[in-house]
Order: sequence, then C-alpha cells, then structure tokens
Amino acid sequence: MSMPRVNLVVVGHKDHGKSTLIGRLLYDSEAIPEQKLEEIRTELKQTGKTKFEFAFLLDSLEEERKGGLTIDIMQTPFKSKKYLYTIIDCPGHKEFIKKMLTGASQADAAVLVVSAKEGIQNQTRQHTFLIKTLGIEQLVVAINKMDEVAYKEDKYQETCKELEQVLRSLGYHDVPMIPVSAMKGDNVFKKSEKMQWYKGLTLIDTLDKNIIPHTLPINKPLRGVVQDVYQSEDNQEIVVCKIETGTLEVGKEVVFNPSGKKGFLKKLLAFGSSKEKAEPGDSVGLIVDEITAVERGEVLSYPENQPGKVKKFVAEVILFSGIKIENGDELIIRYGTAEKKCKVEKIISEIDPVNLTVRLKNPEVLKEEGVGEIEFLALEPICVEKYSDFPELGRFVIKGKRGTAAAGIVLEVRN
Amino acid sequence: MENYLQELEKKSIAIIREAKAQFKNLAVLWSTGKDSTAALWLCKKAFFGKIPFPVIHIDTSYKFPEIYAFRDKIAKEWGFNLIIAKNEKALKEGLSPEKGRLKCCTELKTEALKNLIKERKFDALILAIRRDEHGIRAKERYYSPRDENFHWNYKDQPAELWDLYVKPSEDYSHMRVHPILHWTELDVWRYVKEEGLPINPLYFAKDGKRYRSLGCMPCTVPIPSTASTIDEIIKEIETSKIPERAGRAQDKEKAYMMQKLRSLGYM
Ligand SMILES: Nc1nc2c(ncn2[C@@H]2O[C@H](COP(=O)(O)OP(=O)(O)O)[C@@H](O)[C@H]2O)c(=O)[nH]1
Ligand SMILES: [Mg+2]
Repeated sequence: MSMPRVNLVVVGHKDHGKSTLIGRLLYDSEAIPEQKLEEIRTELKQTGKTKFEFAFLLDSLEEERKGGLTIDIMQTPFKSKKYLYTIIDCPGHKEFIKKMLTGASQADAAVLVVSAKEGIQNQTRQHTFLIKTLGIEQLVVAINKMDEVAYKEDKYQETCKELEQVLRSLGYHDVPMIPVSAMKGDNVFKKSEKMQWYKGLTLIDTLDKNIIPHTLPINKPLRGVVQDVYQSEDNQEIVVCKIETGTLEVGKEVVFNPSGKKGFLKKLLAFGSSKEKAEPGDSVGLIVDEITAVERGEVLSYPENQPGKVKKFVAEVILFSGIKIENGDELIIRYGTAEKKCKVEKIISEIDPVNLTVRLKNPEVLKEEGVGEIEFLALEPICVEKYSDFPELGRFVIKGKRGTAAAGIVLEVRN
Repeated sequence: MENYLQELEKKSIAIIREAKAQFKNLAVLWSTGKDSTAALWLCKKAFFGKIPFPVIHIDTSYKFPEIYAFRDKIAKEWGFNLIIAKNEKALKEGLSPEKGRLKCCTELKTEALKNLIKERKFDALILAIRRDEHGIRAKERYYSPRDENFHWNYKDQPAELWDLYVKPSEDYSHMRVHPILHWTELDVWRYVKEEGLPINPLYFAKDGKRYRSLGCMPCTVPIPSTASTIDEIIKEIETSKIPERAGRAQDKEKAYMMQKLRSLGYM
C-alpha cells in the first residue's frame, strides 16, 4: 500500500519547459482533479488563450500565470507504477539560485530539461553544476520540445553529444537522455509514435528504472545533533537529539562534542514508552548517566568514532544575492543544530558556474551569487565533517540577517 | 505504525523541537480540524506528553457548535493552556460573510490573530497547513517569516536548505512554523487512525453528507458521502477526484482569492 518515496527536482534553463514537463507528468499520471483542470480551462479562456497551458498546473500565483514564468518553487506529488514521487519545480528567473537550492536540497534525484531547439544554455550548465555540488548523483535528462524540431533524430543526437561533454566534465556518466515533447506528451508517460527511431524507455519508465530512493544511513558510525535539553518531571536532564547516521543503543557509552562530555545511555525516551534503539531521522530524548549541561548544537557519537574538533576547513560556498564575502570576514555558520563563529582565512578561488572554470585564484572578495572555495578558521570549537564522509554534518549554511544567506559543502577538515 | 508514517512523524517532531529551541515565545494554532489536531498531538509527543506553550483557537463566532464542543472537551482531556482569539470589535459592528468574504475572513481570523500576537508578543506560531491543500500553500517553507502586518512575501522567500531551519536575526515580526507541510490529506487520516486520535463528528457522514474540511458555518458546505468511519474516509479519499477544500468558499469564490488572503496573513 505504501510505495517508496522519491523526491525529484526539475532543473534547466528558463523557458526550456520545466513547468510544462511537470504539468504533463501530473496530468498524465492523473494526479490533477478534474475540477482544477476545469478552473484552469476557464481561466485560459477568459484571458483569450486557446491552447492548454500545462505550466498552470504548477504556476499557481497570479503573477506566475500572467507572466508565464515560475516565481517560487513548488512541490507536488504524483504516482508512477513504482514510486510516489514528489516533484519540485524551480524557477529559472530572478534570484533562482537560492530558490533552486532550496528545492534541490530536498531531492534524491534530478531531471535536467534541455530544449532541443535552443540547445545548451547558461543555466543548463549552471544548474547541473549546482546540483552536483549539492551531491545529487542521480540524474536523468529530458531533451524537450522535440515537436519544434520536427521530431528529428539528428537534432536529438546533436544535443545529447554536446550535453555529454558538459556532464562528463562535472562527473556525471551514462546519464539517460530521453527525447520528449512536454507539450504534446511524447515519451513522457506515453511512448511517442512520432519518434520511431528512439528505442529507449519513456521518461517515467526511465525514472522508475534508474532512480533509487534514499536509504537511511544505518550502517555508518553514530552521529546525532543535540536539539535541546528538557527537564523531566523528576528533574532529570533529557537531552533531545536528532539521529543523523548509525544506530543509538541503550546501555552504551556516548560522547558529546565539542564539549567531550561522556556517559552511559540509561534510557531512550519516546512519548508514552521507552525505546531500546534509535535510527537516522529519529528525534529522541536521551537520559545519560552522570552528565549535565550538554548544549544545543553538540554532536553525539560513540567514543570509538568521534568527530574531530576542527580548527580549519575548506568548503565550496554558494552565495545568494545580498551577501558578499571578503578575506578576514567573521561569519556565523550553521551545521546540524550548531551556530558557530568562523573567520574567512582565505578565498582560494572563484568558480565560474556557467563556463565551469576557475575564474580567479585567491580573490579578495567573493561577490553576491558567486561560487568559490574558501578556507575557514574556526573561532570556537567546531565539529563539521567532510561532506563525503558525513553529508549530514558536512553541509552548512552561512547566517545572514534574513536567515540562510549561503550554502557550504565541506571538502577538507584540519584538526 | 507504517514506516512512511513514522518518517513523516519524525520529521514533524524534529521541526517542532527546532522551533521550541529557537524561539522564545511560541504558540500553536488549533482549529479543532483533523490537521491541527494531528499537529497538536505531535506537539504533545515532542514534549513527552505536555505541550509547553499556549494553544490558540481563533473564534469567528460563526463556527459549528460541534467545533466548540470538541474544542472544550479536548482542551480539558489533554490539559493545555488554551487561548481564544476573537475580534470582538468587528463582531460588535456586525461583521458577517454577507459583507464580503475576503473582508470577513481577514477581519475575523487574520485580525483577531494579529491582535493576540501583538498583545502576547508571540514570536513564532505553529500552523498545520499542508502543501497538497492548495497551490499557494505548496510554495510554503517550514519556517515562513511574516512582518508585523502579517504580509507574506511569497515572491522573495528565504532559502531553506536541507533540514537546517534557521532563525533570521531581523526582518520579520513572527515566524510561521509548518511541521506537517509535507503530509497529505490521506497521510493525516492514516495517522489519525494509527494513533487513535479524537476526531470532530462533523467529518463523519450523516444523511449522505460529511464535511471534508472544517470552517465557518456560512462558508463551508458538506460533500456528498457515506463515509461514517475513519476507514471509510480513507477509502473515499483514496478514490476521490475532488479536491479537499472544494467545500471552502474562500478558496474559489474568485480566482486568486486564496493568494490574496494569504498575502494578507491568512493561514
Ligand atoms: N512546442 C513546445 N513548447 C513547449 C514545450 N514545453 C514547453 N513549451 C513552451 O515553452 C514555454 C516555457 O515553458 P515553461 O514550462 O514555462 O518553462 P520553464 O521556464 O522551464 O518552466 C511555454 O510557452 C511552453 O508552452 C514542448 O515540448 N513543445
Ligand atoms: Mg517554470
């Protein structure tokens, strides 16, 4: 009854048909109630449009429909034979980086939409670079608007070839590429009659076949983050942790870092009962023997395998609009539940996310919406880890006045 | 409990705890409907049985008698601090849906809440909205800031990456926290069943009709249905092609009414 769930982000250059493709997926999978279709038909008629606009299934804001563009991300569920997908649509226009990352950070896999007519554009490269930076390894390409190139195979092949080069340079290999027309519905849910030369699967069948749902990192060393400390009615300290990796078991000795406080786990509290074990994703209450004053932000582990206290670390950083970073800046980063002060020791490089090259070495400033590698100096004890070891503790955000102002992925740590 | 329901629950509980840890003066909104009752239950679970902040019920005075009865019964049984928000001034002046629905909703719900927030200085509110309810709500974040006029700047929302829910240092007046944003209507009913949660009798079919979404009496119509148990409701939703809020006038009276309401601070 309950299908495995997959979060899918759709990226690509503006106007290449992301919203239309998602609309088509929702429409063909019958995820849209008839009443909503009727509402949209009426609205289209009132505004004098004759063809059905699939993007309206996603673009629900008045400004989005009138302007024919997506302003903010949208998440919608639909079902295939195998999975319950949540599909995330991203805007390609103003300030799309922060919006796209918001969507992509929730995704298990990505669909890259490239118009066969326009071919690879700036955002095609930029979006692919960004999802790769976020660690999304599962990718499927939809070569869209095949109807506009008369469903010609050579046009499809040409786009594929060009794209393969870009994908390879970013570390994506053997990516399936499906010729589709989101508008007409060819090869999305239904096999196209107009492209007999294409022998592969439809987009939805490719997704079903290739995408593996997220699995809980149960077999890794234990890591958890302290969310809060509550007082029980009998005045015991309940340390509330969210488990990120591994399994936490009652009776074992645990340690909190950076304070280094240790104790044996006496009890694991759930509401109305107690548990013997906790797994990734669980937010649980710990009663630990002889331990006091643990604080929000600390990292839980077993003594055999603890996170190090990091003095310096190198990260790939993606800035949103409204923030720039200079050498020597002091910043607050948030990883897990911790907020810690760091100093920008050195901006190692600025990366050109469109041409996928290093633009500058050792620049003084990383400007807004810039991407670069930065070396940070910890101004207080910090327990970040390498993203490739522990993604959950190897990603962080830089705090700005409005909250999240930049994203970071830890490449190297030095203790 | 089924695995996926556990996943939904875990995430929600973690978000509720994040909100409690980061904000000084938190409260949860409770309409007595199934979603906010589930959210209230999640709050109870998050704090091992006792909700450590106030529960707000916005009373338009046009609610069904069953809502008031259910509210008072649960409040007593669960033992939380219930605050009732009412726009007495507008009611005294005789405001009703006939004077215009946008105005009525805004005055009796949004304004009532605004006044209460100002008076009690809440800096964050937990709300049980879900993405699948409405196209506009699908654009929400788990942490969604509002200014003092309750304006929702939906075109320029802050980023929200992974599960790093960040409290901004300025540029907001209160935070809306949405712990069940990722649930669907069906998820909520399955959870209600699994957890044996109390449910307002209006949801169950009587004389061939039931309410699928609860609002004010003048603006909520029942749907044709024979579902009189939770199992039957689950079955009905699994096969239904009609949107959940089809019975709610404010969603469709005019195109974009919901968008306008929400940008003015509506839930
Ligand atoms: N001919 C044709 N037009 C398409 C197709 N997909 C999208 N479009 C049109 O391209 C325009 C941009 O599509 P949209 O989905 O808004 O692009 P987005 O910016 O990537 O979300 C709209 O006018 C669509 O109708 C397609 O497969 N064929
Ligand atoms: Mg779009």
